[in-house]
Amino acid sequence: MTLFSLARKNIARNLSQYILYIASMVFSIIIYFTFVTLKYSDTITEKTESSQNMQSLMSAAAIILIFFVAIFIAYSNSFFMKKRKKEVALYALLGVRNRQIGFMLFFENLLLGLVSLVVGVVLGFLCSKGFMTLLIYLMGYDVMAPFTFSGSAALNTAIVFILIFLVTSFQGYRLIYQFKLIDLFHASKKGEAIPKPSMGVATLGILLIGSGYWLALQDPFSSKVWGQVGFVMTVLIILTSVIAGTFLLFHSVTGFVLMLIKKNEKWLWKGLHVMTVSQLLYRIRGNARTLTVIAVLSATTVTAGGAVYGLYYNTNDQVLTADPNTFMYRQTDAKIDQRVSALLPDAKYDETFKALSVTFDAEELNSLDGSEKRMYSVIDEKMYNKLAGIQGKEVLRVKEGHAVILDMGYDPRFSPEYKGKTITTVNNLAITFQGYKTQTVLNAGTAGITLVVSDDTFDALQKAGETVIYRVIGMNNASVDLSGKIAKEIPKAGLFSSAPQDIRNSLENVGSLLFVGSFLGLVFLAATGSIIYFKILTEAEEDKSQYNMLHKMGVSSKEMRKSIALQVAVIFLVPLAAGLCHSVVALKAFSNLLMMDLAKPVMIWMIAYTVIYGLYYILTVASYNRIITRNNKTEG
Amino acid sequence: MEPLLKVENIKKTYGKSNAAYTALENISFDIHEGEFVGIMGPSGAGKSTLLNMLATIDSPTEGKIYMRDVSIHDMKGTDLTDFRRDNLGFIFQDYNLLDSLTVKENILLPLAIAKMPAKEINIAVNRMAEVFGIENLLAKYPYQISGGQKQRTAAARALVTEPALILADEPTGALDSKSATDLLESLSGLNEHNHSTIMLVTHDAYAASFCRRIIFIKDGTLSKEIHRRGQTRKAFFQEIMDVLAAIGGEADDVI
Repeated sequence: MTLFSLARKNIARNLSQYILYIASMVFSIIIYFTFVTLKYSDTITEKTESSQNMQSLMSAAAIILIFFVAIFIAYSNSFFMKKRKKEVALYALLGVRNRQIGFMLFFENLLLGLVSLVVGVVLGFLCSKGFMTLLIYLMGYDVMAPFTFSGSAALNTAIVFILIFLVTSFQGYRLIYQFKLIDLFHASKKGEAIPKPSMGVATLGILLIGSGYWLALQDPFSSKVWGQVGFVMTVLIILTSVIAGTFLLFHSVTGFVLMLIKKNEKWLWKGLHVMTVSQLLYRIRGNARTLTVIAVLSATTVTAGGAVYGLYYNTNDQVLTADPNTFMYRQTDAKIDQRVSALLPDAKYDETFKALSVTFDAEELNSLDGSEKRMYSVIDEKMYNKLAGIQGKEVLRVKEGHAVILDMGYDPRFSPEYKGKTITTVNNLAITFQGYKTQTVLNAGTAGITLVVSDDTFDALQKAGETVIYRVIGMNNASVDLSGKIAKEIPKAGLFSSAPQDIRNSLENVGSLLFVGSFLGLVFLAATGSIIYFKILTEAEEDKSQYNMLHKMGVSSKEMRKSIALQVAVIFLVPLAAGLCHSVVALKAFSNLLMMDLAKPVMIWMIAYTVIYGLYYILTVASYNRIITRNNKTEG
Repeated sequence: MEPLLKVENIKKTYGKSNAAYTALENISFDIHEGEFVGIMGPSGAGKSTLLNMLATIDSPTEGKIYMRDVSIHDMKGTDLTDFRRDNLGFIFQDYNLLDSLTVKENILLPLAIAKMPAKEINIAVNRMAEVFGIENLLAKYPYQISGGQKQRTAAARALVTEPALILADEPTGALDSKSATDLLESLSGLNEHNHSTIMLVTHDAYAASFCRRIIFIKDGTLSKEIHRRGQTRKAFFQEIMDVLAAIGGEADDVI
C-alpha cells in the first residue's frame, strides 16, 4: 500500500470529520474565485467609466482577501490537526516512521486542497452571476449579468490556493516532528490555570479603551494631539490602545465579574448555574484571545460596512443638495434654449432668470487659502424666494446692503465666519453678511457659491459685475439618457449641471465601494462566525464526557440545553457588544469628519450584522446540543 | 423486610436474532437497605452491563428491576431523570469530576441540581468532606489534586444527596493501594454508621473483601454468592480467592 493510497483511504473513511474542514476551504475558494471573476469581468470594466478606480479598488480588496483567506485556512487547519493528534500518535506508536507519517499528512492535506479547489471553483462559477447581478444593481446599471467562465480568474485562484495549501500541508508534515508522543496523546487534556482577576489590569483595560475613544472623537483638524503626533500615528495609537484594552478587559474584567457572580452562592447553587459560570471562568484565558479577535473582526466589519453603506445611503441626498434643480445651465445662445426645450417632455418648472457674477474684495474673511478676491454668483431676493417656494425651502428676507450666502460646503472648522463680515466690490460698494445657509437653490456645479441680496441692492450691484442668464429646469423622473442628450446641445461655457448624471457618477464610485465593502464584510462575518463555531465545537468535544456525567447524575436534557445556550450566548454576546461599541465610536468619528448624519444607515447595517451573527449563534448551539445528545445516547 | 432493589430474571442480548450475543441471562437477586454488596467476575462476565441496567442507562431485553416496588425501566423521560437524581449515586473508575469546578462545587453539584437552599448545601458538603477527609481541598480544582483525592471527591459527590443506592464501578481501578484502602474504609464506614446501601462492581479481590456479601457472575449468569458474616477481612479475602479459583476466573485478572 502506497502512502498516497493510505492518505486517500484515510479521507474516504473519516469523511464526516473532514467535512467541516473541507467546507471552510471550499467557502474560502468560492469567495475568492467569485471576487476575481468580477475583477476580470468585461461587463463590469466596460460599464464603469471609472474603471481605473474600480480596478485598483478590486485589486486592493483581492490582496486583503488573500491575507484573510490564508489566515482563515491556517486556523481551520490547526483546528483540524488538533483533532487528529491522537490518530497521528497511534501511527507513531505502531511503528510507522515519522517521515512516512509526515508525508502521509502532507499528501492528505494536498489532496483535500485540490478537491476543495475544484469544488470551490465550480460553485464559485455558479455564485458569480448572483454577485455580479448584485454589483450591477448597486452601481445603478440596467444590464444583464453574463454567465461566463473566466479562465484567468480560475488560474489566479488556482495559483493562490495551491500556494496556501502547500504551506498548510507543510504544517501538517511538521506536526509529527513538533511534538512528543505523550503530548500528542494528551493534546486536549491539560488543565488551564484560572487567572487571578486583578482590579489593576481591569482598570488599565478600561483606561486604554477610554483614551482610545477620547482620541478618536477629537476633531483631527483642531485637536492638539492629532496635530502633534501626526495623523497616521494617532490612528495607530487609537487602534493599538483599543485592541489592547479590549484584550485586558476580556482577560480581567470578565474574570472579575464571574468571580463576583461566584460569590453569590444563593443564585449560583441553583441548578446548573454553578456549571455555567465555572465553565466560562475555566476557559477565560483561552477565551480572552478569541473574544478579542472576534470583537476586533466585528468592529472592523461593522465600521467599514457602516461607513460605506452610510455613504451609499446618503448619495442621493448629497447630490440633491448640490443639485436642487434637475438641470441647470448658463445661457449662451437662444437657439440652444429652443433645442433643449424640444428635448424636454414635461418639466415641473422651467425658469430663465438674470443673475450676476461679481468679484469681491474679501479681506475680512481671511480665508485659509489666503486669497483676497472671491467670485460669487448673486441673485435677488425675489428670485430666491420663487425658487425656494418651488423647491420647498424657507423664504428669506434680506436687509438693504446685506447678503445671505448660500454655502453648501460650509464647515465651521474651515469656512470663514460670515456673519457681520463685510466685502466690497471693485467700485467700493460694501455688502455685509447677514448670515449663511448650507442649502442652495442653484446647482453648485453651474453657479458656485451664491449670494442672495435684496432687490435694490441687486440693482446697485449690476454695475460691479457681469450679468448672466441662468436656466433652471425641474423634472420628476429625468433619465441619464435625457441628461446626456441635453448635455450634447450645451457648449462647455454653459456649465451644464445635471442631477441624474451626478447621481449616476456617485453611485458608480460609492456603489462599487459598497459592493467591495459588503463583500469583504460578508467574508469577515463568515470567518468570525466560523472561528467561534470551531472553537465552541472543539470545546463541546472536550466537554462531552462532563455532560454525560451530568446526564448520569440525573440532570434533564432541558437543563443542559439551557446551560449550553447560556454559555455560548456569553461567548457570542460579549465580543459582539464590544465590537458594536467600538464601531459606534469609530463611525461617530467618521461622521464628524465628513459632517454627515450616518445614524440611520449605520443602524440598518448593525442590525443586519447582528441578525446574521445571531444565526451563527443558533447554529452553534444546535451543533453543541447535537454532540452532547449523541454522546449521551451512545454512552448511555 | 421488603428489599430495596429486586432484580428479577434479567436477560440482555445484543444484536439481531441470527448473530445475537447474550450478555446476561437468568440474573435474579435482591439488595436490602444498608447492605454493602460486591459484584465480582472476570472481564467480559457482564458486570458493566448489569451495572448500566441498575443505573437505568441501559434496559434489559427481558425481566424487570424493581426499586422500592417501582419497575425502573417502565419509567420514561423526565421521570427517569428525576428518579436517577433522587435515588442513585455514582462513583466511576475515572472519577468523572468536572474540571472547571472546584472540589466543593463538584460535591455540591447534585444538591444544586436538586435545588436545595444554599445554607443546607453548605452543611451537607462540609459533613461529606469530613467523612472523606478532604476538608482542606475544597477550594482546589481537580487538576491540582491527586487521583486518590479525586476519587474521594467523586465519592463525596455520589453520597452527598444521601441516595437510596450507591453504584460504584471499579472505584479503585485507577488508585494506588493506599488511596484505595482510604476510599474503601470510608465507604465501609458509611455503610456501618449511616447504613448507606452500596453496590460495588469490581474484579479486584482486595476491594471486594470490604463488602458484606459478594455475588459472582461468570459468562453472563450468577455463579455463586458468599457472605462475610463474622469473618475478618483477611479471612474473607482468602475465601474470595478460593471462590475465584474454583469458578475458574483468570488468576492474573484477580491479583
